[in-house]
Amino acid sequence: MSKLVNISIDGKKIQAPEGANLLQVAHNNGIKIPSLCYHKKLTPTGACRLCVTKIKGTNGLVMSCTVSIKEGMEITAFDQEIEETRKHILDYLLAEHNDHYDGTYYDEFREWVAHYGLDKPENRKYPNISKALNYKIDDSSPVLTYDASKCIKCFRCIKGCDEVQGKNVLSFSERGITSYIIAGFDQWNESECDGCGECVQLCPTGALVEKPHRDEVKLDKLDKKVITTCPYCGVGCQLELSVQDGKIVRSDGVEGVLPNDGRLCVKGRFGYDYVHSKERLTTPLIKKNGEFVEASWDEALDLIATKFSEIKEKYGNDALAGYSSAKCTNEDNYLFQKFIRVVFGTNNIDYCTRLCHASTVTAMLKSIGDGAGSNSIEDFATTDCLFVTGNNIIETHPVTATYVKNGKYAGKKLIVCDPKWTPLVKYADIWLQPRLGTDVALLNGMIRVIIKEDLIDPDFIEKRVDRGMEAFEELKQLVEKYTLEKTEEITSVPKEKIIEAARMYATARTAMIATGMGMSQQVTGTNNVFSLINMMMITGQIGKERAGIDPPRGQNNVQGATDVGCSPLIYPGYIPITNEENRKRVAKLWNIDFETLSGKPGLTTVEIMHAAYDKKVKGMYIMGENPMVTDPDLNHTEKALKKLDFLVVQDIFHTETTPFADVILPAASFAEKEGTFVNSDRRVIRVRKAVESPGKARDDWRIIVDIAEKMGYSIGNYNTESEIFDEIAQAAPIMAGISYDKIEHQGIQWPCPDKNHPGTSTLFLEKFNTPNGKGILNPVEHVPQTEQPSKEFPFILNTGRILYHYHTSTMSRRNKALTDFANESYVLMNPGDVVKFGFTNDEKVKLTSKQGELVTSLQASDQVAEGELFMPWHYSEAPVNRLTRSDLDPFSKIAAFKLTACKVEKI
Amino acid sequence: MERSEILKQFEPANENMLNILHALQNNNSQNYLSEEDIKIAANYLNTTYSHIYGVVTYYTMFSLKPRGKYIIRVCNSPVCNMENSTKVIEEIKRFLSIEVGETTDDKRFTLELSECLGRCGKAPGMMINEDVIGNLDNVDFKSIFENYN
Repeated sequence: MSKLVNISIDGKKIQAPEGANLLQVAHNNGIKIPSLCYHKKLTPTGACRLCVTKIKGTNGLVMSCTVSIKEGMEITAFDQEIEETRKHILDYLLAEHNDHYDGTYYDEFREWVAHYGLDKPENRKYPNISKALNYKIDDSSPVLTYDASKCIKCFRCIKGCDEVQGKNVLSFSERGITSYIIAGFDQWNESECDGCGECVQLCPTGALVEKPHRDEVKLDKLDKKVITTCPYCGVGCQLELSVQDGKIVRSDGVEGVLPNDGRLCVKGRFGYDYVHSKERLTTPLIKKNGEFVEASWDEALDLIATKFSEIKEKYGNDALAGYSSAKCTNEDNYLFQKFIRVVFGTNNIDYCTRLCHASTVTAMLKSIGDGAGSNSIEDFATTDCLFVTGNNIIETHPVTATYVKNGKYAGKKLIVCDPKWTPLVKYADIWLQPRLGTDVALLNGMIRVIIKEDLIDPDFIEKRVDRGMEAFEELKQLVEKYTLEKTEEITSVPKEKIIEAARMYATARTAMIATGMGMSQQVTGTNNVFSLINMMMITGQIGKERAGIDPPRGQNNVQGATDVGCSPLIYPGYIPITNEENRKRVAKLWNIDFETLSGKPGLTTVEIMHAAYDKKVKGMYIMGENPMVTDPDLNHTEKALKKLDFLVVQDIFHTETTPFADVILPAASFAEKEGTFVNSDRRVIRVRKAVESPGKARDDWRIIVDIAEKMGYSIGNYNTESEIFDEIAQAAPIMAGISYDKIEHQGIQWPCPDKNHPGTSTLFLEKFNTPNGKGILNPVEHVPQTEQPSKEFPFILNTGRILYHYHTSTMSRRNKALTDFANESYVLMNPGDVVKFGFTNDEKVKLTSKQGELVTSLQASDQVAEGELFMPWHYSEAPVNRLTRSDLDPFSKIAAFKLTACKVEKI
Repeated sequence: MERSEILKQFEPANENMLNILHALQNNNSQNYLSEEDIKIAANYLNTTYSHIYGVVTYYTMFSLKPRGKYIIRVCNSPVCNMENSTKVIEEIKRFLSIEVGETTDDKRFTLELSECLGRCGKAPGMMINEDVIGNLDNVDFKSIFENYN
C-alpha cells in the first residue's frame, strides 16, 4: 500500500494514499466536487471539465479528476470563480442538449443543472441549438436506445464498454459538435453489442436508456429497491431490483460490492420478465385421467404423502429418489436433502451437477481434497497467466469473463484451449484447438515439454505433493511417450503451439486454470481434470494467491446445493455419509435416531433414471429440475419417467418434464424468496424477496416441510430462512462462521470456520484438504474415445451454451429482450463440410445419432473444425440430448454430452 | 487486388489502420470503404467495427459512399478562397453538372472540397486523385478533365 500524504481541500485537512485521484479523495471525504465524466470504475477522462479546482502553486484551473495527490497539496474546490466556471460549462453543454426529461432514468446532468439554477431558461446565457443539430436516435437495439441529443460526450459509455466489460463495441462517429456515439456501423442491432447494458448504467444523462419497461417506469413511483443475487449463472452478481406496483421493472448492478462491482450481463440486467410471466404455475395440479386439474394445497400434499408412503412401505426406502435444484436456495436444498434422508430414508439424492462438473469435482476431491474453485472471481484479472480450457467463459460466465478481459488488457497472458472457436479466442495469446476428446494427450504433451525444459517447481513437488519426487518420476515416465510428434498426431495441435503454451503457463509468476464443460462432459472427464491438476502441481501453480484451478459453476447455486449436501455421498459440508461417526453427528443435529440414516451411498442423477427404467426406483420428487432436457439420451429418460409409479415435479413453470408428473407444485421464483446462494468462488450471498409469488405458489422449503409433516415426520420448525441457515452452519463446518447478519452487505467465501473468520479468498495456501494435506498426482494415459465417426455417422457433435439462454431456457426464453437476441436452434458446420456434403447455409437438416434424431437449421461456420458440429442445447424443440449418449465417466458418472457421432441429412 | 493481398502488406497493428484503410479505399473501384472493407480491416486488426467506422467518419479523405473513379478536391482554404476558389467550384459544378459531394452519372468524377493543399503559391488549386493542379483562375477545365478517363 502506498504511503499516506497530507493535503487540504478548502482548508479541510485530509490524509489519503499518495497518488490517489484527487476527485475521488474529495468525494470519499464528503466534498462533493461536481463531475460528470468521472466514474470511479473508469480511468479519468477530463472531458466535462466540471471538476475544476485550484491547486496552490499551479496556474489556472485544474481538473481534479486528472490529478494524483502529493504531500502538502493545498486545493481550493469551491470559490466564486470556480463556481462561475462550472456554471458556464454547464450552460455551454446545455446549449446543444435536449433537456426533455421523462422521469424514467436517473439524470446526474439534470441535477447539476438544477443545482446551478440553470433549469430556469432565463438563467441561461446561450440559446439552445440542439434541434438545429439534427441529432439522431438509434432505437434499433433490443435493450437500449441512444439519443444523441441528450449525449454530453463524456466517454463513460465507451470506457465502460472498453475498460469494464472489455468489449470495445462503442466509439465516436464524426467530430466536433456533430459527433455522437456509435456501435458497429452506426446501427446498434447490427453491431457486436451483446446487450449487457453497462453503458446504460454508467450514462449520466438520458442519452442511453433501457428499452424494456421504459413506458412503465416512473422513478418517483417506485415501491422499493431490493438488493439480491442474480438467478442465472454461477457468478453470483449482485442486482438491485426496482419494484413498481409489485412488479420488477428494472435491474441494475450493485456498485462497490463483489463479485461483480456493478457489472452485469444481458441476462442479469434484462432477464427478469419471466418472474411475472402469465405462464407461471399458480396452483397445485393433480393428474386425473391423464389431464391436469387444479387442486388445493391440502389435496395435493395429502396425495403426495399417501403415494410416497405407500411406495416406501411396499418397495422400501431406496425405491424413492429426489432431484434437488441448482436454481433453488441453500435453505431449500438443505431441507430437500434432509427430507430425502430423513423422510424417504435414502441417499438417492442428486441433481444436475452430476451432468456438469461431477468429473471435475471427483478429480479435484481426489487430488487436492476440495471440488470448489481455489480463487476469487476478481483474481481472473490479476493472475499473470490464465489457461481457459473447454470453457466458453464469455458466453457462460459473462461477468467473470470481464475480469479475464481486464487482465488481458493489463498485459496478462491468456491461453484458450477449445476445439471450437469461442469469443475469448479474440483475446487469447495462444489458441490451442485440439480434436474433440484428446485433452489428456494434449496436457501430457505439455507436461512433457515442461519437464524436458526443466520448468517444474521441485521445491513445491517436494513439500506439497504426496510422495514428492517419487510421484513426479511416475508422471515423468508416463508422459515420456507423449512426444511432440505423437501429441500433434493425436490432437492436431501444432508442436510449436504446444511448446509455447507449456512455457507460458509454467513460467508465469502465477497461473490459474478455468476449466469447463468441454473438459468435464466426456467419458474421460475425470482423467481430463487429473491431467490439468498434474500440470498445475509440478509447476507449483497452486498454493499461492492468484494460482489454482477454478471450475466456474454453470448455475446460480450449483456450488451451494452440493455444499449443503444434495449428493448421494455426502452430508452438508462434504462429510461422507458412509462413516458412522458422521451419521451420528448429523443424526444428533437433526434430532433423529442415527440408525434411521442410511449409510448406503445413493444413486446419482443418471443412475436414478436407469433405476427408474429398471423399475427399481418407483417414486420421485423433482424440485426445480428439468431432466427431459438436461439428461443425456432423452428417449431413455422419457421411458424411465413413464415407468415411475409416482412423480412430483415442483417448479415455477410447466417444463418438458411436468407432463410426466402425477402432481405439479407451484413454487416461488428467486425474486420471491429470502435465502442464500453460493457462487463459483464459494461466496455465500443473500437472496432477498422483492415481489410476491403469483397465485398459490409457495416457497420451496415450506412445501418440503409440509410434505414431511403429512408423511408423519418433522424436519424442523423454522420461522425464517435465517434459522434454516443457522442449522446449515451447524451441519457444515465450512460455513460455521456465516450467518445472515454477517453477509448483509457482502458475501463471505467459505471456508469460514468461526464467527471471527473473514472467509477464505484463496484455498490451499498452507495445505491441501487430502487426508495427509499433500496434493496427489494422478498420471493418466490418453485413451482414444469409444465414440468415433463412422461411415454411417461421419460427424462428431459437440454441444454447449450461448450467452442469451440459460440451461433449459424455461426462464430465459420468457424474456423479450433475450429472445429478441436469439430464439432459434441451429447446428454449426465447417464451411468446407457444407460444400463437401452439398448443403446450403440456413437450410433445415435432420441430425441422427444412434440414440435419436432432431431437426434444426444448418449454419456454415469456421467456429468448428471439419468433421465436427456444434449445437446449443437450450432449445427444447430441437433437444440435443435426444442425440447424446448416456455413456458415463466411470469415476464421476458424468455423461458424455460433448461427443456424439451423428449424421446430417437434408429434409 | 484481393483484399487479403492488400492486408498482407501491413502488420496487423493499430498504427497501420489509416494506411490499411487508404489501401482498401484505393483498391475499391468506386473509391470508398464498403461495409465489407471495414469488417475485413476490423477483423485483421482484431478490433470492433465501430472503431474503424469512427476513424473513417472522422477523416474527410475517407468515404462511406461510392464515389467516382477520380476525386476532385478543390482547395477552399483562406488563400485559395481569396484567389477566388468559389468561382472555380462553380465552374466545375457547371461543367460536370454535379453539386459538391456528388458523383457524375458516368461514375468518373466526384467533387469535394478540401482544406489547404500546401500549394498556396499556385492558388487556387485542386487535386484529382494524387495529382495537384494549380493556377486554376483561367483554365479550360475540359482539357484538364480529358486526361482522366
